Amino acid sequence: MKPAAFRTYLWTWLALLALLALTFGSAYVHMGTFNLVVNLAIAVLKTLLVMIVFMDLARSTSLVRLAAAAGFFWLALLAGLSLTDFLTRS
Amino acid sequence: MSGIAEQFEDVRQQEQSAHLGMWVFLATEVLFFGVLFFVYSVMRARYPADFAAASRHTDVAVGTINTAILLTSSFTVALAVRASQMQAVRLTRRWLWVTAALGAVFLALKGYEYYKDYSEHLIPAFRFSFEAAHARGAEVFFALYFATTGLHAVHLCIGIAVVLLIARNAARNEHAVEVGGLYWHFVDIVWIFLYPLLYLVSRA
Amino acid sequence: MNTIAAPLLPPSERPDSYLSAGYSVRSWLLTHDHKRIAILFAVSITLLFFVGGTAAALIRIELITPAGDLVSAETYNKLFTMHGVIMVWFFLIPSIPATLGNFLIPLMIGARDLAFPRLNLLSWYLYLAGAVVTIGALLAGGVDTGWTFYTPFSTLFSNTYVIAAVAGVFIVGFSSILTGLNIIVTVHELRAPGMTWFRLPLFVWAIYATSVILVLATPVLAMTLSLMAFERIFRIGIFDPQLGGDPLLFQHLFWFYSHPAVYIMVLPGMGVVSEIITCFARKRIFGYRMMAYAILAIAVIGFLVWGHHMFVSGQSVYAGMVFSVLSYLVAIPSAIKVFNWTATLYKGSIHFEAPMLYTLGFVGLFMLGGLTGLFLAALALDVHLTDTYFVIAHFHYIMVGGTVLAYLGGIHYWWPKITGRLYSDAWARFAAILIFAGFNLTFFPQYLLGVAGMPRRYHEYAPEFQVLHVLSSAGASVLALGFLLPPVYLLWSLRRGEHATANPWNASGLEWRTSSPPPQENFKEIPVVTGPPYDYSPQEGDSMFGQEARELGASASRS
Repeated sequence: MKPAAFRTYLWTWLALLALLALTFGSAYVHMGTFNLVVNLAIAVLKTLLVMIVFMDLARSTSLVRLAAAAGFFWLALLAGLSLTDFLTRS
Repeated sequence: MSGIAEQFEDVRQQEQSAHLGMWVFLATEVLFFGVLFFVYSVMRARYPADFAAASRHTDVAVGTINTAILLTSSFTVALAVRASQMQAVRLTRRWLWVTAALGAVFLALKGYEYYKDYSEHLIPAFRFSFEAAHARGAEVFFALYFATTGLHAVHLCIGIAVVLLIARNAARNEHAVEVGGLYWHFVDIVWIFLYPLLYLVSRA
Repeated sequence: MNTIAAPLLPPSERPDSYLSAGYSVRSWLLTHDHKRIAILFAVSITLLFFVGGTAAALIRIELITPAGDLVSAETYNKLFTMHGVIMVWFFLIPSIPATLGNFLIPLMIGARDLAFPRLNLLSWYLYLAGAVVTIGALLAGGVDTGWTFYTPFSTLFSNTYVIAAVAGVFIVGFSSILTGLNIIVTVHELRAPGMTWFRLPLFVWAIYATSVILVLATPVLAMTLSLMAFERIFRIGIFDPQLGGDPLLFQHLFWFYSHPAVYIMVLPGMGVVSEIITCFARKRIFGYRMMAYAILAIAVIGFLVWGHHMFVSGQSVYAGMVFSVLSYLVAIPSAIKVFNWTATLYKGSIHFEAPMLYTLGFVGLFMLGGLTGLFLAALALDVHLTDTYFVIAHFHYIMVGGTVLAYLGGIHYWWPKITGRLYSDAWARFAAILIFAGFNLTFFPQYLLGVAGMPRRYHEYAPEFQVLHVLSSAGASVLALGFLLPPVYLLWSLRRGEHATANPWNASGLEWRTSSPPPQENFKEIPVVTGPPYDYSPQEGDSMFGQEARELGASASRS
């Protein structure tokens, strides 16, 4: 595999730290439920950065991408279908 | 490359297998940790106020610094992979050592936090004490806090051992460095989610 | 089969076979050869099968009379827990994937081994460690929670060795994960040149899909059982309602693993059956692509139906309806498979050697087990049938009638390949018929008991159920005899059996293109595949089959 440019990694790292600052700062702004939404959105964004750039999914085969997505997809199945119960139980 | 195991036809096949094997393993890990995140969500929906109160007892400064440390360690391990791809063996080793050192600093800070939690009686089932109104949910919060961060710390210890082993034995083998790096990034990702869910529940 | 450009090797007992690669204990316990590890697995799961079977025998003896006269209620609880835990995790789940799968996947795809041989050996040691811990717990005093470990009973009330039993299951879970991971990577990366996905035998498809389930479901079980143990030790209210937890949370997580686990058990059986039915009907499998897609569909949909185990648990009615509808969906790919097996038989030239008898038994019993599953998937009907013997009969039809028969069929089918010896077909047919008859006599009355309202897990019962219980116990003794036969004549064949040729069934597939038993490296030269699987036709099969084919053996190549 050819090495990626140093710049790419540097900018990704800086972006991750910026997102950390953002999530930390946003936690101190009163937004109700949206605090959680913002926190999770930023966590997902950070994860995507790590996976796509650092873990090199950007240049991986579709098989590897599929394996990377499978775990999250199945976790979503677990959570999503359980919600049919947890959200409607009386 | 040190050599080809007999079940493989060529180096490429061996490398791709190791790579895919690590990704499949990480999918397993996602579900392993995922159960804890799921249980956390159900319990937080059950005890929103207790979780908020409990979360304010975590040390947000240490947690934030630790997040920065782990994000940086992901950066350095990515640089180690890059160095190994450029066949720069000494540079690879150096970045791997930096990565392991950052991991160790994280663990040291985490240990300090655990000590603080202990002295504030926040360890569930062990002289746990909390303001009565929120005690029940807070105990669940801290049970999950110790389960998740503890399991994460175990993974990080393994990560440090793996990184050091690769630095010693296989820094020349760019594929070993890549596969080890994948594991390290995964441990980072777990923490990326733990950080807001444990430290930032209700700071505003 | 005119598609393989590899040489057909002469008969067995060759100095280079994997069996003659070393005779020391060490050469077995430290082997990296997938074929030897498969045999290690086969021996260990067979031992545990008989341990679990002994518990079942005691249960059936107790149930001959309505009174609880043989064992106490507590002992009875421990017996059915032991039976369930051992059969599910230490026999059924590893049964086909870790033995036949381990042995055959590299052979079928034209590889020299699995991708990670050392991981494969580790998987067996983890299995062994898990078995020792769990059996230790069961011997030390037993567990009385049932194999489901439901909270709050398991965390608050039970005074038995819950944590030790769970620890064993946790360990064996990692054995499953490693096997699954190994097979997934092997099938993706190690296929021989020309072995495209739609040239794979259906057995490979089935084991691959099973491995995907193993890898994605097992970690959920591991973590859930850990949390349960955590709650039991530290009294943290995660599942226990008295402590503020949610017991249905445990059930959701448990069944997120344990329902797909049913497909971990039965999908490999479907793979075995597909191989055997096409060979013994001398016909190409009907609807190959549909069969492959159906396997994948079952694996995925199997993850979406777990809530049907919880219809009466107190989960929301809406969730019950969703899970009921989704459960019906699984019937579609399952029916596709049964139809296609039947269509494969249609106008085939059918031969009734022992593997085929097991296979036909599988198809019939799986159908009956599957159709009664539809009863249980119906929300309203399940309220009546849940926790009765109807459920017991249903899942035994799938797990014994399905998985165990397929496993035995597979063992008989590939025995000449694995050992290089031929067993007595007459004895094997006799055992197959005995098992089929004994099985039905044991479990069909249980459907009737269930409909009549006999609840499961009771060691005493009302006198009006006695006739059916006696029938069931009588069937169980026939079944037990049937299960004891194969080890005898199979082991006997190891010393006295005739030597097998490379391809005694005149079957297609790469595993038959190498000698019996295979050389350590599987193939002298990695074969090149140029055509689809199951290259059978009735005309050529008829004259070449059976005893005749065995004699012709090596010269049967039509390359």
